[in-house]
Amino acid sequence: MRFRNPLLNWIAERPGGAMFALVGILLLLAMLAPILFYLTPIRKVPLVYNLRNLQNRWMTTAVTALAFTLVTALLTGMLAFVRGMDRLIEASGNPGNVMVLSDGATDEAFSNLPPFVAQDLPSDVQKQIVSVPTDPRDPGKKTPLISQEVYVVVMYMIPNAPPGSRQRRFVQMRGMNDIAVAALVHEVKLARGDWPSPAGVKDLGNGETAIEIIVGAGLARTFAADLGKSELELGDTVTIRDRKWVIVGVMEEASNSFGSEIWTRDAQMQKYFGRENSYSSYVVRTENAQMANLAVKEIKSFKRDRTLQAYTEREYYAKMTDTSKQLSVAIYVVAFIMAIGGMLGVMNTMYAAISQRSKDIGVLRLMGYQRWQILLSFQFESLLIALMGGALGCLLAYLAVDGQTVTSLISGGGGGGGGKTVVLRITFDLTVLIVGVIFSILMGCLGGAFPSVSAMRVRPLESLK
Amino acid sequence: MFTRIYQQLAADWVNLAAALLAVVIVGGGLAYVLLQPRLFLLGLKNLRRNLLRTMLTAVAIGVLAVMITTIWTIIYFIDLIQTERSKDLKVIVTYKWSVPSQIPMNFKDYLDPTSPGLLLKLREPPTDQGKPLYGKDDFMIWSFFGGTTDPQKITPDTLIFFFVMHPDQIIPMMDDLGDLDPKLVQAMKEKPQACLLGKDKLKAINKQVGERFRLTSFNYKGLEDLDFEIVGVLPDGRYNASALMNMEYFNAAFDKYENKFKAPHPLAHKRLNLIWIRVKDRDMFDRIGGVIEDAPEFNQYPVKVETASSLIGSFLESYRVIFMAMKFLLVPGMLAVMALVMANAISITVRERRTEMAVLKVLGYSPNQVMLLILGEALFVGALAGMLAAGLTFAFFNGLWGGIPFRIGFFPVFRIPESAFLWGLGIGAVTTFLGSAIPAWTARSVKVSEVFSKVA
Amino acid sequence: MSVPILEIRNVTKSFTRGGETLTVLRDLNLVVGEGEFLGIMGPSGSGKTTLLNLIAGLDKPNRGDVRIGGQAVSAMNEAQLATWRTRNIGFIFQFYHLLPVLTAFENVELPLLLLPISAQKRREQVLNALDLVGLSDRLHHRPGQLSGGQQQRVGIARAIVTDPTLIVADEPTGDLDARSAVEIMNLMDELQRGLKKTILLVTHDPRAAEHAQRVVHLEKGQLLESAPTEAALATAVSAAQ
Repeated sequence: MRFRNPLLNWIAERPGGAMFALVGILLLLAMLAPILFYLTPIRKVPLVYNLRNLQNRWMTTAVTALAFTLVTALLTGMLAFVRGMDRLIEASGNPGNVMVLSDGATDEAFSNLPPFVAQDLPSDVQKQIVSVPTDPRDPGKKTPLISQEVYVVVMYMIPNAPPGSRQRRFVQMRGMNDIAVAALVHEVKLARGDWPSPAGVKDLGNGETAIEIIVGAGLARTFAADLGKSELELGDTVTIRDRKWVIVGVMEEASNSFGSEIWTRDAQMQKYFGRENSYSSYVVRTENAQMANLAVKEIKSFKRDRTLQAYTEREYYAKMTDTSKQLSVAIYVVAFIMAIGGMLGVMNTMYAAISQRSKDIGVLRLMGYQRWQILLSFQFESLLIALMGGALGCLLAYLAVDGQTVTSLISGGGGGGGGKTVVLRITFDLTVLIVGVIFSILMGCLGGAFPSVSAMRVRPLESLK
Repeated sequence: MFTRIYQQLAADWVNLAAALLAVVIVGGGLAYVLLQPRLFLLGLKNLRRNLLRTMLTAVAIGVLAVMITTIWTIIYFIDLIQTERSKDLKVIVTYKWSVPSQIPMNFKDYLDPTSPGLLLKLREPPTDQGKPLYGKDDFMIWSFFGGTTDPQKITPDTLIFFFVMHPDQIIPMMDDLGDLDPKLVQAMKEKPQACLLGKDKLKAINKQVGERFRLTSFNYKGLEDLDFEIVGVLPDGRYNASALMNMEYFNAAFDKYENKFKAPHPLAHKRLNLIWIRVKDRDMFDRIGGVIEDAPEFNQYPVKVETASSLIGSFLESYRVIFMAMKFLLVPGMLAVMALVMANAISITVRERRTEMAVLKVLGYSPNQVMLLILGEALFVGALAGMLAAGLTFAFFNGLWGGIPFRIGFFPVFRIPESAFLWGLGIGAVTTFLGSAIPAWTARSVKVSEVFSKVA
Repeated sequence: MSVPILEIRNVTKSFTRGGETLTVLRDLNLVVGEGEFLGIMGPSGSGKTTLLNLIAGLDKPNRGDVRIGGQAVSAMNEAQLATWRTRNIGFIFQFYHLLPVLTAFENVELPLLLLPISAQKRREQVLNALDLVGLSDRLHHRPGQLSGGQQQRVGIARAIVTDPTLIVADEPTGDLDARSAVEIMNLMDELQRGLKKTILLVTHDPRAAEHAQRVVHLEKGQLLESAPTEAALATAVSAAQ
């Protein structure tokens, strides 16, 4: 749906963006409400006093708040990246899918299986395989959702790469027997084009042929850039392993891990990359997560001429959260350090404000305001500075990064390398917002604590001398 | 230490800029102290008068400087690793088209300078009697052998991922193992089943030097279980989680398989992973590289040639976004926060001391001197805090762990370079200057009359 | 005999500073009756601030006790004191000490915010107080927009808005020009005569002290009475008639 108004358009394009904004504002108000209510002018130092003072010294207030803006913006921006990673991993893998790998393999890149048929699996597992109608002309005919896949990370020479810059790139290729069925197994849809023809090879006309491929949305962007185009078109070719491959379809921009992959027929891949008669994985769809778990158990204990390794797809992807965990920790450490800077800034500001307003404090005390009321009043002021800065920071980060797609590696730590390059969408969601707001509140409270205590200890009549 | 700094300056323009900046700052500072000693002392007294606030500002700057030093060290090294260094240029030969690289073992015969099968074009002159372009100490082959001590359990405690090589090639060719005890190498040659483990790996599998274990292979399934004896520990550092085994033992296992099953192991023809050749300069690299890539002997499994930094660069490509964010968002962001903290602190000070500055002017100090007073105080705190913080970071991380323990792939810890002192000084000074510029200018333009009429 | 609003009995207060003990107030006795206008004079360093601290309940005597309106101030805890202060004492200062960011209205309203009265009632009382001091037309001006005399009147309004038992004025005319000073002192007379407020005037300005009925001198920690002032005589005369 496209609107004429660019603002409405912008909101519509960011899924849940408007929803988020509304919820976010309500949440913010909800968090501030108790604070505001707490400091309503019944037996408390009036709010208007703090607000007017902040206004009075607006420059200092702004500079102090700006520090919080920067810290919060960086924190939430980076967390949104990690969130995008987590969401991708969560959404990757159908809960009913089971991945079969060779014994001892933890990653498909290092798995070697011979060609399979469904009958090679334990009979109980065979019964659980889901079948769906795939032929619109014959709705009665059902195809089992099974996919044999050979996954290789290949070397791709970047065309027309200027000397001195990157000459090659790793590209993920996945070859399967029936791509359309594989697409159903993995819930992948095409945004443009169609699945490769049964032959899998296209005649380019001038005596040359090219192998038909589907590319993920993220990879499509990369290839387009290589070819000097803004968008990859159907019919464009890339050269891999001295052979031409032609794009006949592009995947939808979706939250799965195939955004950086090339999909093609298995035969060509096996031929060109030395994987004759070898597959990396065998994926079957069962009814649901429960069935999948049972299937995994069956397969692992199944002994024929070889033992097999099996994971539910969700399990397989969940193993890859190591990168995001490591990054999260690093981000919090960095944010905390930066927050110290912000807090010290607000401390400075508040100390100065208090020393300047010590007469005010004296008068308030003599009127009968108690020490804790003075403390709360100044604590609130620093909190307000932090919240203003923090809220702005969240907003800036949201505007800047939410929805941006980037590529990154996700890996499971493990042995010698491994890991998958994926395309993820930076997601500034409610979790990130909450973290940002709480962080600001904490910074404000901690930063204002010491100065507020010193405000509390001002001796009234002496300050008035 | 100074030779290192010199090397670092030559290697990176940022270091050089920091060094020049440091010279300017220190020089300027000294000039200030010598030419305007009273102002300087007045500034110091002011800092001391409000010690709490001075300390707060210094700590804020310092803490941020620590963070920036840490992050920049990582970026610095990642950048450094990806640039060529002709000092230790290696030709790395791998399978051309995919990873992991798997090529036949006999390919080494075409590239081993001690082998009669060495490609003719790699000899000078290109005849059977020609001298190889590189010696046996400049040549190395690698394979990877992964296995588990407990086939029922495949966990980090039971997994071992061996680097397979000829023991003779360890000392001449492996980075950071040049000082390995030759006796260990000797022990490995005498007993084919000997192996060396890093100390973290030893701990993980709960074994000591001298003990034995049995490994069931998982990346070459079907090979008979191999017995190993631990003859030594790898030096502390990047190899703490690594393991080395003997190439002969590895090859013997495949021979055994073939004898037993009357057919080679399905992966026997793909069991060589890498070949390294050390060359003396870029020209030799290009020459040897060209020969290898064009050689028809490799047609069945085409190989490619690249430098170590290029190889690493390919792996780091996926982390690009993260590194870019660190370099262009995080570091500038932190610098900005530093500048803001300074701006805040100095503008507060200036506002509080308006009378004092008006008095100075009345006494005859020029506006520039008043500005200099403020700037001097600020820069003193900022530059000093920055440098001390960087120095502390240097001592802490390098002393405790030899560097920053942020693990990316197979990289060692990131050792903080000596240039860090310069970075600290530089960022402390620059952010302070940026932050205090405007307040200091305000100080300069305090109107004497305006201040006094209020008081009166 | 009027009910004593302020009773200071045998109060001694000493401070220890750097190993030395300094006795600031020595066995002090003072009684102030309801509706009295008392002047306290004394050079700086004579212990005026200490005395005011004790009266305001901000400090406790080493010996003796302080009672205001019959209540033992020296025996209350901090929370009790704070509440008590709101209702029982109004302070007027030499430098007015208005909160610069609040308007005249808001400044006067401040103490009322501590009392459990409705916003409506608060407004009434503030307007009354400001009307009394003649500043109804300057409600929404900030201190920065008022002259010295006007600021002090706001200060007075603030001091009386809670209808306190005792009003303590610490050098109220110290920062004012002669004309404003006279205006302020006349206003204070009116507070005493018209509203029957008890006023404690701390000053070293003899002309201001003349408005008081009785003057005591604080010297070296001891109080000395002086002769009744003109004002006292005038009151006595008018009372007799």
